[in-house]
Amino acid sequence: MTTMDRGVRGRDRVAKAVLYTILSISLLAVVGPFVWMALSSFKPEGEIRSVPPTWWPETFTLENFRDLFSRLDFPLFFFNSALVALAVTVGNLLFCSLVGYALAKLRYPGKRVLFLAVLGMLMVPGMVTFVPQFVLVSNMGLTNTYAGLILPFLVGPFGVFLMRQFLQSIPDDLIEAARVDGAGEFRIFWRVVLPLCRPALATLGILTFLASWNNFLWPLVVATTEDKYTLPVALALYSIGQNRTDFGLLLAGAVVVVLPVLIVFLLLQRHFMRGIATTGLK
Amino acid sequence: MAGAPVATAPARSVEGKTSDRPAGSVQRRQRLRRALTGWAFSAPFTVLFLVFMAVPVVVSLVMSFTDLRSTDLRNPFAVNFVGLDNYTRLFSDDLFLRSSVNTLVFVVVGVPLTIVVALAAATALNSGLLRFRALFRVGFYLPVVTSIVAVAVVWRFLLDPEVGLVNGLLGVVGIDGPSWLFDTKLALPSLIVMATWRNFGFLMVIFLAGLQAIPGDLYEAATLDGASRWQQFRHVTLPMLRPTLLFGGVVTGIGYLQFFEEPFVMTQGGPLSSTLSVSYHIYNQFGFGNYGYAAAASYVLFVAIVALSVIQFRFLGERK
Amino acid sequence: MRRSRLATVAAAALALSVALTGCGRDSGGGQDDAKAVAEGKASGEITVWAMGTEGEKLGEFAKAFMTENPDAKVNVTPVPWDAAHQKIASAIAAKQTPDVSMIGTTWQGEFAKTGALDPTPPDLIKKEEFFPGAWDTTVVDGSSYGVPWYVETRGIFYRKDLATAVGFPEGPKTWDDLTAMATKMKANGVREGFHLQPGKTGSWQSVMPFAWSNGAEGVSADKVSFDSPEMTEALGYYQSFFKQGLSGTDLPEGALEPDFVSGKIGAFISGPWHIGLLQEKGGAAFADKWAIAQMPMKKSATSFIGGSNLAVFKDAKNRDAGWKFVQWLSKPDVQVKWYQEVKDLPSVQSAWDDSTLSGDPYLAVFGKQLEDAKAPPAIPTWEQMAASFDLEVEKLCKSDVDPAAVAKAIQEKASGIGTGS
Repeated sequence: MTTMDRGVRGRDRVAKAVLYTILSISLLAVVGPFVWMALSSFKPEGEIRSVPPTWWPETFTLENFRDLFSRLDFPLFFFNSALVALAVTVGNLLFCSLVGYALAKLRYPGKRVLFLAVLGMLMVPGMVTFVPQFVLVSNMGLTNTYAGLILPFLVGPFGVFLMRQFLQSIPDDLIEAARVDGAGEFRIFWRVVLPLCRPALATLGILTFLASWNNFLWPLVVATTEDKYTLPVALALYSIGQNRTDFGLLLAGAVVVVLPVLIVFLLLQRHFMRGIATTGLK
Repeated sequence: MAGAPVATAPARSVEGKTSDRPAGSVQRRQRLRRALTGWAFSAPFTVLFLVFMAVPVVVSLVMSFTDLRSTDLRNPFAVNFVGLDNYTRLFSDDLFLRSSVNTLVFVVVGVPLTIVVALAAATALNSGLLRFRALFRVGFYLPVVTSIVAVAVVWRFLLDPEVGLVNGLLGVVGIDGPSWLFDTKLALPSLIVMATWRNFGFLMVIFLAGLQAIPGDLYEAATLDGASRWQQFRHVTLPMLRPTLLFGGVVTGIGYLQFFEEPFVMTQGGPLSSTLSVSYHIYNQFGFGNYGYAAAASYVLFVAIVALSVIQFRFLGERK
Repeated sequence: MRRSRLATVAAAALALSVALTGCGRDSGGGQDDAKAVAEGKASGEITVWAMGTEGEKLGEFAKAFMTENPDAKVNVTPVPWDAAHQKIASAIAAKQTPDVSMIGTTWQGEFAKTGALDPTPPDLIKKEEFFPGAWDTTVVDGSSYGVPWYVETRGIFYRKDLATAVGFPEGPKTWDDLTAMATKMKANGVREGFHLQPGKTGSWQSVMPFAWSNGAEGVSADKVSFDSPEMTEALGYYQSFFKQGLSGTDLPEGALEPDFVSGKIGAFISGPWHIGLLQEKGGAAFADKWAIAQMPMKKSATSFIGGSNLAVFKDAKNRDAGWKFVQWLSKPDVQVKWYQEVKDLPSVQSAWDDSTLSGDPYLAVFGKQLEDAKAPPAIPTWEQMAASFDLEVEKLCKSDVDPAAVAKAIQEKASGIGTGS
């Protein structure tokens, strides 16, 4: 072993230590509010609102959760949220990767216009289309139906843009090789391209699921009876009043709402691991 | 295809290379087949897109040329067409101008800051030498999923002039910390930092997916050539990551030009309108029932978003 | 090719615009005439939207109504306050309204002007039974479009012990009292002798009582007059608390109650919901340390009246039963029961004779105050006017600006917005 080698390794070790320190401090700063949220859901209302706030619950209570589960028809709202979020996620993954592939790798007339329309849609502020969209959906007779909750979100410009950008970085040679082998275009997409897209699909899946799961205004307006409410709508119902907010319920609700998203994230995040994409490419 | 860079799709499909084309009929049939394939892939999306998005956009665009108010909602066709009146009125609206300046500052500082932080985090987490990667990955993503209400409570506490942690730390080094959110000069910068904190995890996840797609042998080759880690980052990672960076930049730009939640929960646009954003102003106008006016403001914002995105496509777009 | 496509779009847009120009509103605001409601018991399904606690509890509470009217079925959909305005506005646009909905008093003008609300049938609902200030919130262009369901008003919460120490055991009676009390409390080491909201959403609810008490009107159904000398004087009075350091401008959210309990704040303006908050926050030991006073006297001692109304929609599928349900909720004995259920203060005057309400010393103050309490007129532009009012109030509290200039600025903004008539 030469002295130079040892020098490099020593420098690496210092760099590593610095990196870990920075990352750990950032982690604390980033995780803090989440931890506070989780811990505070076990505090009585008075302690949550105390100034300055406490970290560890001085009085530990399950009251918020008990209150939450007794006042809310939890299984129903959870089912509604899960059904809508899963349908929306599956729809986005499928349709957006299909059109993303076409936009990135196929040549056909109208493609430019389509892509520009997608980009344009991405840039329209959401608030402006809300009322026309609702009038449209209600004229289709979809108020208070699952279809009304799902269909308008089944595809989205964000997903198309994400998939198109990602698919562009997949080498053409791979697709060309498959074409030379005589594979049909859909077969190429399904067998060759999609497996390479796992990191992007995982990303899109997480983001779509999160957005749908947290969506508040649309389900509130489209659902006209309580049995079609989703979790965030139901939670807002009991925790936010005209003149006061019930923070205990709100935080307990936030913890309950965030759990499924975290689980989805933990399930999908292994797809970010180095290796899957690269072995696929070789 | 020498059109605008916005649409410079990769003109490198396989078929494009065949220069010695046979008879016209074969060529035509091939072109038809290509069109059919392309649209077969695009059809499900396009149908849903046209019905649920394009139609409402057209309606709202028409709305922006009328004096539609919430009091007309039951008879929307009984409104007056006012031409560009809403648009011209915007530019004599003090609050709109004020909010435009605030939003511009937010974007110009916030977008680069968020991208740099996210890229740094993604690169660090993607470097092979790190343990506990999964822990950091999940940790950095937590702000994205944390309820905005909890975020607001904790951040208000952090920035509290009397008992806040930030001023506590400043006090240790002998600085008398200001009252961040109640100071017209400091409120907006505080929100920029907060937005960066809240959003970089989202971009980090996207950048990670992009980094994963870079073939490892490129780095191996670079290492063999004696490239330092910084050189590898500069000459391998950045160019390969360009489509993803472009995506991240555009999406963050779009999001930040519409920033709303931070001032909504932290400052309600105050103190003295110093954190009022364009989106917040639009939200208020919709709330007041000025639908036509709010729609016009939305489309001015839309134009700003398009302009920012075009600039980003210019700088980061695919170059051939 | 591209140019021709552009031309097509332009032509289509032009055609559309011409078509739209052809429409235009019919300017004759046709008077709505209230139709009578069929006699007899209510029947059929009645859909009701209600917000917050009311939405949560009304379904159960309505069972008594269904017992009295066996053929009727009340279906309550609870709606979160957060986006209730958006939900009702969207429903009106899509003509998908329920039969009955709870409506914030300040939304009344806007929703009535859409023509979506059914005029109140006078044979069924008697105006005289309600607090006049509350009834006025339902009146748009001379007709009533709803019924006050519950009310709230503002009074002065003060530290009885600290006030006694400076010679005001009964609280402040006049404007001068209030200033004197706050000043002396401050001299005794209280940080904020009288905390006032320094601008921001809803601060008009604290400012307007002083203006009304000084004889200023501000805005009526068809006239804006914020620049009167009375208004200027009231604004100057409000500002004086900030100038003299009797009220701060950077109280963090959630700090009001603990600071009041710990004696850092001597008094503040708020409504009935603070009774419960203070009892919870201060506990039993704090119970005799605070009290509530009516608004202090100038030319009058007028407060703000808020609360919620109930309205029936024109697109209702079951209008008559809807009105019967509303009428049932306005019966004095039902109003008292409803108070016992959710602590909503009755809008019907005679309900206050019940010992449940008149026996409570805190509530009695609010009950008395309700007799002299008013709200801004039910105009569709009020929320927007209020927002610009709040912005000017923020300047008033946070800088040394001349109150007359503030009054003038409010007047300019408000007349630019107009009363929407």
